[in-house]
Formats: sequence, C-alpha cells, structure tokens
Amino acid sequence: MIEPTDNNPQRSELVLNMGPHHPSTHGVLRFVVYTDGEIMRRAQPDIGYLHRGIEKIAENKTYPGYMPFTDRINYLEAMFCNQAYAIAIEKILGITPPERAEFLRVIACELNRIASHQVTLGCIAMDLGAFTPFVYLLREREKINDMMEALCGNRLTHNYMRIGGVSADLDDTWLGNLEGFLDHFELILEEFTSLIVYNEILVKRLADVAVICAADAVGYGLVGPNLRASGVNWDCRRDLGYSVYPQLEFDVPLGRGERGTVGDCFERFVVRVEEMKQSCRILRQCLRKLPDGEIQAKVPKMIKAPKAEVYSCVEGARGELGVYVVADGTTKPYRVKWRTGSFSAMSIVEAISRGLMIADLVAVIATLDVIAPETDR
Amino acid sequence: MEELSRNIVEALGLNPFWEQVFYALAIIVVAVVVFMAALTIAGLLTYLERRVAGRIQSRVGPNRVGPLGLLQWLADGLKLVMKEDLIPACADRPMFRLAPYAVVVGVFAAFVSVPFGQLLIAADLNVGIIYLLAITSLVSVGVLMSGWASNNKWSLLGGIRSAAQIVSYEVPSALSILSVVLLAGTLSMQGIIQAQGGQEYHAEFWARGGWPWNWFIFHNPFAFIAFFLYFTAAVAEGNRTPFDLPEAESELVSGYNTEYSGMRFAGFFLGEFANIYLMSAVATTLFFGGWQIPGILPEEQASSWSLQLMGLLIFVFKAAIGCFVVIWLRWTLPRLRVDQLMGLCYKYLVPFAFICLGGNAVYILLIKAGSTFDWIVHGAMTLFGFALVVYFFVRVTHHIRLVKDRVDFDILSRGTKKPFDPAVQTRRYGRHRKGARALEITGQQGKEIG
Amino acid sequence: MGALSSYFSAVGRTIATLGDGLAVTFSYLFRKPVTLQYPDRTVEPLISTLPERSRGILEIDIDVCTGCTMCAKQCPIDCIHVEVVKDPETNQRMLTRFDIDIAKCMFCGLCVESCPASGLRHSHEFEGAMSDVARLMLHFVDKPLPVAKPPKKDEPVQTKPKGSIVREMLRDPWARTRKSKPKAEECGDIG
Repeated sequence: MIEPTDNNPQRSELVLNMGPHHPSTHGVLRFVVYTDGEIMRRAQPDIGYLHRGIEKIAENKTYPGYMPFTDRINYLEAMFCNQAYAIAIEKILGITPPERAEFLRVIACELNRIASHQVTLGCIAMDLGAFTPFVYLLREREKINDMMEALCGNRLTHNYMRIGGVSADLDDTWLGNLEGFLDHFELILEEFTSLIVYNEILVKRLADVAVICAADAVGYGLVGPNLRASGVNWDCRRDLGYSVYPQLEFDVPLGRGERGTVGDCFERFVVRVEEMKQSCRILRQCLRKLPDGEIQAKVPKMIKAPKAEVYSCVEGARGELGVYVVADGTTKPYRVKWRTGSFSAMSIVEAISRGLMIADLVAVIATLDVIAPETDR
Repeated sequence: MEELSRNIVEALGLNPFWEQVFYALAIIVVAVVVFMAALTIAGLLTYLERRVAGRIQSRVGPNRVGPLGLLQWLADGLKLVMKEDLIPACADRPMFRLAPYAVVVGVFAAFVSVPFGQLLIAADLNVGIIYLLAITSLVSVGVLMSGWASNNKWSLLGGIRSAAQIVSYEVPSALSILSVVLLAGTLSMQGIIQAQGGQEYHAEFWARGGWPWNWFIFHNPFAFIAFFLYFTAAVAEGNRTPFDLPEAESELVSGYNTEYSGMRFAGFFLGEFANIYLMSAVATTLFFGGWQIPGILPEEQASSWSLQLMGLLIFVFKAAIGCFVVIWLRWTLPRLRVDQLMGLCYKYLVPFAFICLGGNAVYILLIKAGSTFDWIVHGAMTLFGFALVVYFFVRVTHHIRLVKDRVDFDILSRGTKKPFDPAVQTRRYGRHRKGARALEITGQQGKEIG
Repeated sequence: MGALSSYFSAVGRTIATLGDGLAVTFSYLFRKPVTLQYPDRTVEPLISTLPERSRGILEIDIDVCTGCTMCAKQCPIDCIHVEVVKDPETNQRMLTRFDIDIAKCMFCGLCVESCPASGLRHSHEFEGAMSDVARLMLHFVDKPLPVAKPPKKDEPVQTKPKGSIVREMLRDPWARTRKSKPKAEECGDIG
C-alpha cells in the first residue's frame, strides 16, 4: 500500500504521481507530488514526455521547409511561432515584408491570441470544476477556426506566414466576418464575465493562491500574462515595437490585486480576459488601417542565408516567444533554438507549490498556462 | 401488509404459520417494486442530466437511441453490465466488491419511506425522516470502503474527503430538517406533508391543501432560509458539484471510483443519481407540500383514485424540478476546495441552521398557527419567493438579449433531420453497411455529392 | 463590526454572483444549440460548406503534370514521390510514378504553392479512413505516360474538377486490400 518515503513516521509523506496521464495536466506532463494529506510539501515537475525534437528537425530542413514544423511547437499559438521564425529569417536575409503583409500577420496573430486565451480561460474554469464556460469559449473559438480556415486553409496548424510575407490574402467578405465576430465576441465576453469571472467560488479558489511577486517573476523568467499579472509592465509588442504594432493603440493590462494580491492566480486569470478585450481593440484598428498592396516581398526561390546569428521574439499568447537561428551560409539552418513561455512557467511551479493544497496545484498549472508540447518541443 | 396476509390465510383456511410466509413474500415483492422504480428513476435522471447539460452547453445531448434518445440510459446500462469486471491486482478484494453494495443499499433503502403519493409509500415509518438520515449515511461507508480497497492513492484521497464531507454536512442538513419537524410536529413523512395544508385551521378553499402559501418553505423567513441550507447540505452529501470533491475529475482523476468499471461502477453511478432524486423528493416532502393538490384536503384526496394520480404527478413534477436544479448547478458552478468546503459548513451553514432552528421555535411559540399574522407572513413570504423567481427570469431574458440571441423554445431539439441519402451513406461507410442495402432496395446508383 | 459586515457581504456576494451565473446557463436552455450533427444530420453535406482554401487530401491532375518534381523537392517530409524517365525510343520524358503518401502528409500546402501547372492541389476531401495504411499511398500513375508541356505564363490550365480524382481513389474504404502483401517500394517509406 502507501509507503512513507523514509522510515521516520513523524515525517511520512504521501507520494503522488500526478500524470503523465491526468485530466488536468493538459497533455502529457508529470508532477511528483509529495503531500501531507491534502497539503503539498513539494511538487516536482517532470517534463519531456512530448519531446519531438523540433529544434533538431530544423537542421535537416530548408528555411521555408521548416515553417510547417513551427506550427507544431504549440498547437494553440501556431501563428506566433510562424511569425517569430519568419521575422528571424527576414532579419538574416535583410528583407522587409510589405506593409499589408505585416497587417495581415497582426490580424492573424491577434485572432490567434484570442483563440489561445479562450482555451486557457476555459481550461482554468474546467480544472476548477465548471465545465460550461469551457464549452462556451470553445464554441466561440470554433468561429475563429472557421475564419482561419477561410484565410489560410487550416484550422489549427495554420502555416500561414512565409519568409517575406504571408501565403494568402483576404477579401472584404472575410473582413466583414471578422467585424461581425468582434461585435459578437465582445458581448460574449460580457456574458462570460457574469457567468464565471467574478463567481465567488472561482474567486475564492484563485485569489491569494500561489502569489508570485514581481522579483520572483522576473527571476524565474516568466513572460507574458504571467509576468504582467505580477505587476511587471513588459510587453514585447509595445516595448520592442516589432511589425506594425507601433502604429496601433492598445493598453497592456497589469495585475491590480483586484480581489486578492498582485500576482495571484486570480490576477493571471483576469489579465487574460483583459488581454482578449485589447486584442479586439487591435483588430478593430487593423480593420480601419489595412492598406492595399503586395502580400509577399521578393524572396529568392532557393533561400541561402548568409552566415549570421539572430534572435527574434514576438509577444505570443504565453508571452515572449523567441527563436534563435544560427545560419551557416547553406540552405539549412545550423541551429534553431526556441525560447517558450511555458518552459519558464514550469520552472516556478516547484517554488510556489510548497504548502498549497492538491486542488491548488491544478489551479496553478492552469493559470500559468503550461502547455506540454511547448515546454518539451 | 400484515392485515393483508392475515386475510389471505384466513380465506384459504391455512395454518397461522403461513401468515408469516405471505408477509415475507409481500415484503419481497414491495422491495423489488421499490428497487425497480428507483432504478428506473435513476436511469431516467442520467438521461435528463445529459440532456440538460447538452442544452446548457449549446449542444443537443443524446438523441439517437429511441425517440429523443429516451432509451440512451438503457443502452448505457447494458454496456456497463456487459463490460469486463476488473479488480486491481493488489486491491482488497472483498472490500472492493462490497463497497458498491453499501452505496446502492444506502440510497435505495431510503426509497422505502419516500411518499410518492398519499397511499403510494412502501412504509410510512413514524420516524421516517430520521430513518432517511440514518440509512443514507451508509453511502459514506461504501465510499470510504471503495477508496481504501482500490489500493489507489487518488481513490484513498477521494474516500477520505467523502467521509469528512458527509459527516460534516449531516449537521446542517439534520438541523434544517429539525426546523421542519418543529413546524410539522411529527417525524413521519406523510405527517409532514399533511401538516402543510391539511390542518384543522385550513378550512377555507384558499387555505386548503397544497397552495404555495401552505408550504413550509414559505411558512416564515427562517423556514425559507432552512430550505436553502438543507438543499446546500443535501447537494454536498450527494457529492454533486460544487461539492463533488470526492470524485473531483480534474484533481483526483475520478476519486473513489477511479478503479471501478462495469457493473460495480454502475452501482456507484446509479447510487449517485438515485440520491439526487431522493434529496429532491425529501425537499418536496419537507418544504413544498409533497403530493397535496391546491384546494383539496388530504381526506378528500384519499377517497378518489384520479385525485391520487394527480397527487402522484404533482409530487413527481416537483421532485423533477428539484433534480433539474441539482443538475443545473453542476453544469454552472466551479468546485470548492476542501478547506473551503469545511469552512462553508462550519462557518456558514451550521450557525445559520441553528439560527433557523431557534427562529422557528420562537415563531411557533409566539404566533398562533392560523392567526391573521400567521397568514400575512405566509403570504408575504410567498410573494417574496415569486418576486425572486420573476427577478431571475428578468436576468435570464437580459442575458439572452445581451448577446442578441434569439429565443428558441424547441427544448427537445430534435436536430436537423435529413432524408436518408443512400449515396452519401455508401460513400462514407462503404457498401456493406446500411447504405448498400438501401441501394439494393431503391435500385439507385450511388450519385456523387460535393 | 468590520468582521461581521465582511461575513455577511461574503454571503451576499456569493448569492448574487452564483445567481447571475445560473441565469446565464438557464438562458441557454432557450437558445438554439450550435451542434453540427455530423455526418448524417447536417443541413448540407459538410464538404460543400468548406471554404475554398481549405486544405484537404492532396490530389494531382496527372494530365497537366509537367514532371518538374518541384513539389517533391518542396515537401518538408518527403511524402510525394515522383519519377520521370526518358523513353529511350521516343526520347520523350515519361512519368512513371507519382505517389502521395496521405498517411504522412501534414497538409502544409508548400507543394501546392510550388506547382507551376497548378495541377497539384488540396481537394476538400477529408474522410480518408482506410482499412489498411498501405492504401493511403495514393498512386496517380497507372502506366507510364508522357509529361505535359509547361504552361505559358498567365495561361489558364484546364484541369479536372477539384476533388474528383481523389474521391475515386478513396471510394471504398472497406474493400479488401490485395491478397499479396504490397511490395516494399510501393509503400514508400511507411516501413
């Protein structure tokens, strides 16, 4: 039966293997949880179950040929991975994509951000036991998937962007659909708010749980919404100003300690809701400002990158998504290294999980938005 | 029943020994009937749950097996019976086997004293409500047993959580039931129902029988709160969301029944659903006037079969609404954490339950039953209750209008029925399936679509 | 007093927020479900509702194929196998093999973009379940045939209707596979 980890009955611990197949670990992810009854003494993450060698694959693929593989890094934010990689190669080659292409990229990415946050917020609610908000958000995500399919042909692994542009243009019908979706979705967000966001049970489950202070957040390398929930004002879109984001107006929502402390699980939840609203705002501006013109810059048919090393990053749904490419003058990259938000989020789990309850671990994983394939790559 | 068996024996001129035999036979028949009725109710509730959950989540729910999918629960039950019976290698085998029986017995034995109608009750015990409280505690034994015997840490955690939860929530549950017992002056289930509109002072037509203002929920403000306390505690005892910690899917995989499959799992499952009906039926009995028909005294009802039937329907309808509310709660609310669960019980429910008990006692002492003030309080509480319901529906329409949705009253949602196209079927499922046969019958060639 | 008021305000907040959440879910009982009852109760066949760019199973109109093998070169996972040989008698380039391994294809669409004759395209077919994985290797060339001339710039190419070729190939998923085991080279890299 259950054995203590050491023979001292005073210090007996119950060792639980949470995962790799567990309903709330979102993919195959394992935590070794040392508990004292319901209270955790330690939760050690054990990653690597979803390692597919995506970085190694790059070394055997041509520069454009690697693009579909970036979709698979994270099934929820394929567009961002596309964009980060495309920007990196464009930097090496010294290409500037046409402005329309940049706008199309931003539209696709912000839609993708909404879709990703929908899954995240839905999963947080589902992991806390409320199944219905998840279904409502996925229903809306389905509309985004349909639009993505009309735009680039696939619903999940988009492979939309190309080096120097994007693969397909969009038309007025599509833009009309997008506007209709935004009108609808802002109302759905309002409904979602009254359904679950300030639900007292949810607030009680999330507020003041697993507080990450700003110093810790920076120290552990948290990025994106997790970092901003801790009150650190950093957003690559605004602060690094890549693509056409400098032309667009948007706020960066920060954790305010609305119902608990800055940096608790509830802030990480609310920041994502606010980010979806900001994404809607960005999309509306894009609809107004979208210029005419080319969607693809002139790129040689066989891309041969000069010797160079570049790092490019975009603000993905899980924060700064960086790619480091080393080119050695051939048609294939010498090395590609991805820096993903989930990986650094995973590193903080052990530190903040001490003294929490088992049910809180579920909330922590869900609100940190840890996606196993992104962690393992 | 004793009388019945005595009459049979006397009519046949048999030895008095046979009296006992006939009595035993009668008990077995009644037990089987009650068990079957409870099984059917539990099965239909699983269907209702899936259907309601479907509609709440913008889905349709089961709609293929039988008309409107009504036979889905039979199909599922059949599947569970036919499944392989698995017992984990290092499990405590006798305990593992015994646990589902404890749960099933605990829940189903309670059906004996559920008053479906004025005459439709297997045993109107004079301690009916106490019997119910006592026998349902067997469930926690079964759950704890299964958690221990599974030799699985998740199950063990689930079992322990369940034991703590059920024991704690017995307190507010019993206290709020006591409030009603004070008002009714009896422990018998039928007696409690009769007290809601069948007293001497319920003489006028508007005061007779099951009018809402005669129900104990609208008896006085304390009884009103007591109902919600009872309901919360009952949901918690039934391990339903938001209190489903023992089987918290996202934390404990499936809690105490993780290792169970097949028929044993069906035992837990049916027990859970029968328990939902049980608590709704008890709530109906205690707070909603049971089988009483508005404007008709129990004595009148006893004399007519059609009124009896009507009473049965009224009871089942009220209980079904209770079941719906439990299901609806499950598909809306998140789950509490284990310390919050205990906090809710001991910080909120128990003090409130004591206040309600005291308040009810004071109310009975100070205000004479049937006095004008008594009626004013009943009426005011009823109005308050209806105002709450009206306000709720205002919010509902607000939410529908908010997202510019259209109201759709096709609650059964039969789905879009397309005429059967053999060509499509053949292309999708191949020739040897339904499609091929239909092609032979109609003599049609498979035409392409696209 | 502060403790007491926070105690009761917590109770009030709980009732208010839970009640509003319940109103939202209740309101969904009176709204239309969004379920698409695929496959047999959809309003129209699902395939006809897919957007134009939807990337389904690959197909090639072999009559317009120029045998340039650009698609095979572009494919990141080598699921397209093209073989072109020169006929020693007529000196004509003959297409002897054009196989697409649908089991391996990841529907990225890079091959389609590279096709100069636009004979290779994604159909809208997506129901490709087969009783044997070997049958997902689609053979588009039955017997060697001469390659087509490369089209001039901006010249429209006449092709068969989209999806008509691959639909025929995926027609009967329950049909028995050949009695003899498929030869290794026919299966490509499936292994």
